[in-house]
Amino acid sequence: MDTKPDSSSDNNHYWHPIASSTDLTPRHVFHGQLLGRELAVWRADDGNVNVWENRCLHRGVRLSIGVNDGRELVCQYHGWRYANRTAGCTYIPAHPADSPARTICNNRYPVTEQYGLIWSAESALPATHNSASVPDIDPGFLNGSITAPVADGDLNTATIRALNTEREIDAGRLLVLRPIPVNATIDIVSTVLQSYGYIHPLSNTPVHCAVEARDTYRHTTQVTPLTANDCIASNANPPAELIQLHFIIQPVDSARSVIRGFMSGSSTIEHPTTWLQLHNAALSQLRIVAEQQMQAIIPPAAWEVSITPVSESLAKMPGISNAAATTQRVVVRAITDTAKDIKSVEMAAITGDLATWQPGSHIDVLLANGLTRQYSLTNGPGQTDHYNIGVKLEAESSGGSSFIHHSLKPGDVLTVSPPRNNFSLRRDAVKTLLIAGGIGITPLLSMAKALFHSDLPFELHYFVADNSHVAFKSCLDEFGKAANIVTGLDPTETNSRLQQLLAHYENAHHVYLCGPGPMLDSAKAIAEAHSWPDESVHFEYFKNATEVSQDKPFSVALARTGITLQVPAGETLLSVLRNNAVALPSSCEQGACGTCIVDVIDGTPLHQDVYLSNAEKKRGNCMMTCVSRALSDSLTLDI
Amino acid sequence: MITLYDYELSGNCYKIRLLLSMLEIEYSKHTVEFYPAADHKSEWFKAINPLGTLPVLVDRSHEPQNAGQRRPLQQKTEKPHNEQTADLNPIDGLTLKDSAAILVYLATRYDKTASWYPSSDPAKIAQITEWLAFADGITASASQARLAEGFFYNVDADACRARAHQLFRILDEHLWFAEHRKQRWLVAGDLPTIADLACFPYIILSEEGSISRQDYPAIRRWTDRVKRIPGFIVMPGVFPIGPELSS
Repeated sequence: MDTKPDSSSDNNHYWHPIASSTDLTPRHVFHGQLLGRELAVWRADDGNVNVWENRCLHRGVRLSIGVNDGRELVCQYHGWRYANRTAGCTYIPAHPADSPARTICNNRYPVTEQYGLIWSAESALPATHNSASVPDIDPGFLNGSITAPVADGDLNTATIRALNTEREIDAGRLLVLRPIPVNATIDIVSTVLQSYGYIHPLSNTPVHCAVEARDTYRHTTQVTPLTANDCIASNANPPAELIQLHFIIQPVDSARSVIRGFMSGSSTIEHPTTWLQLHNAALSQLRIVAEQQMQAIIPPAAWEVSITPVSESLAKMPGISNAAATTQRVVVRAITDTAKDIKSVEMAAITGDLATWQPGSHIDVLLANGLTRQYSLTNGPGQTDHYNIGVKLEAESSGGSSFIHHSLKPGDVLTVSPPRNNFSLRRDAVKTLLIAGGIGITPLLSMAKALFHSDLPFELHYFVADNSHVAFKSCLDEFGKAANIVTGLDPTETNSRLQQLLAHYENAHHVYLCGPGPMLDSAKAIAEAHSWPDESVHFEYFKNATEVSQDKPFSVALARTGITLQVPAGETLLSVLRNNAVALPSSCEQGACGTCIVDVIDGTPLHQDVYLSNAEKKRGNCMMTCVSRALSDSLTLDI
Repeated sequence: MITLYDYELSGNCYKIRLLLSMLEIEYSKHTVEFYPAADHKSEWFKAINPLGTLPVLVDRSHEPQNAGQRRPLQQKTEKPHNEQTADLNPIDGLTLKDSAAILVYLATRYDKTASWYPSSDPAKIAQITEWLAFADGITASASQARLAEGFFYNVDADACRARAHQLFRILDEHLWFAEHRKQRWLVAGDLPTIADLACFPYIILSEEGSISRQDYPAIRRWTDRVKRIPGFIVMPGVFPIGPELSS
């Protein structure tokens, strides 16, 4: 077949087997190919099977030689990490301080696992793939082959589909044959397969199978069970139970195919090893015939494969104006009490997949009562099928935490922003120190999980009032000695403990701080006093306790937009920009999260945020538009 | 003291480096520039190994059978050949010139667990010997194709590739049915043997001779298992692997 099958758009959801389930052993990357396209196929520790384009987005190196660390696939060349399920890039070692852009997301292909085989299809998934819409395997294949000849009605189409593959194989009711790669076209293989036969191992006589080709790819026949009885009573009454034999030809490329197959029966298939060996021998013979036939024809040119570019919505530069536009709807899957006044909330996508995040990321949660709040994700690496946040009930809650604590329930639908990361975790530190105060544990927990999984050296120091306030205890226990819970210290004692922790700076050590404002203020001061360089001290405030002044009006020139605007007293720079159709992304809008940062070209900003470090503030080349203003009469911004 | 006459890019030398590392044996390396200098064909090296092949291993901790065969002392004071220095004169120890022989020797002499080469188990050592011969077949095919592509050897690379694919098909089938019987290594048993190390290098380097392993999923899984043997080391063209899933 010179023309590539399945090229018509109607047909590109045709399911083809690409591997056996047993091919995907833990921490392995299977090298697959379908219709000319190479695939990297790997199973994460959570069981999820990923079928990806077999090339790193960076330099095109095959991901099938990469490392499956159980949560992420790491490219062998420059160490780019791609998350289980979403295929989004989570870390670029050459840019250790930055979060990879959301646009760096590999092409994924549909996948389903049935009959002990991994099936995929030609069309790449769109960025917002709906996994529920994956079409089922052509039911005609089942109707004709499995249900009809079964006398006792034990298996019908519906149950076969619902059967757990592993259980089925264990029970011996389904036997997946050893796949046989053949250097021949599917047409040749299909023709040869129709004269399939084997030597009966007990009677030592040839058995010719009446193979029925359902289409080019699918072939079925039935064979008699291998029992001693059957041998003696050969040519007597046919046995009541027949075993179905199914062959599916995988179109690898124009002149390369793989014969895959499985046996199924209404009862346990006896002598599985004998069956596997005899089919292996018979198919190997058949391969010789097919490859001889290939010698007689001019081999067709390899099928052309187009690499689908990333979807337009992803590829577009995260435009200044539409940054706030994308949101995703999630359903609350579970709410649990993890500590006194702290609830752990798990949210799953309603359709498709959730956007990729990295350790330190937060999401905006748009609550049903109209409020928007920022929460850090506590997920560990590869946990990409949900978002998990920790929410503390604030005494002076203006409705955010109180709503989550008192009104939100499992099954509720929420709108959330894609994860943003203004608190990126470096993974090249000689040692990482994570210091959390209270609910500040949440981003640091995600960091600790990533460091722990990658076996990178870290210490987590978690300051709480008492043991009843320790959230996510079971996660912390996993870290063993790396996690240290500090309870019951007053501010003076806390300071002296921070003095101890930060007493010695060594090259390439990094500290990440998250907690109440006063604790962060003193930790930062202590770190500075002990010569920690600015770039080694990373912090995230919950909120900005600075008293923000909006007294002084100033003018602002937008260098790229080419306009000058006046910011009157009492109005923020961000709102003036937005009122003039220059929309910036923003999140907390109180100078804590860092989302609305802009570069300053000229003029002196009046910093009123808690996001920038003192050194960054002194440099004066960037500012937060939500709270910061101008010391000079005017500013020139790089927007 | 053990000296390995070694070339970094040689798969046959890599077999020995692997076992030395896995057995935690200290040794010194003496690099012989295989390409482009072709020092393995030089006079000084042929004096050590007349076959002019790598690797060569000299074990000076080995007591000679007959001390009378030692060269007279003044031999050492002769002007050393080329790169050869007097203190590295191999004559004082046991000199072994074939990778399979070296594997057998090291495993028998230095593996206290006697698992790499269980010399008291006739069936196993016979099976190991089969695989050592199979490994030579891989060297004669996959390695030759690699030499053609990477080192400009004048050989029929297509024929080498075809032969390598024949061998890989046999090996993949063997390993697939081994997995079916819950076996992890070339020779059935709980632990790897020198058979695995003898076959591994030129299989894992096969793509340098344009021999894809895509059609051999059982071989690919086995190479993962070899990479997870404690003490595993890489060489140029061989990539590291992450940790096993701990149960």
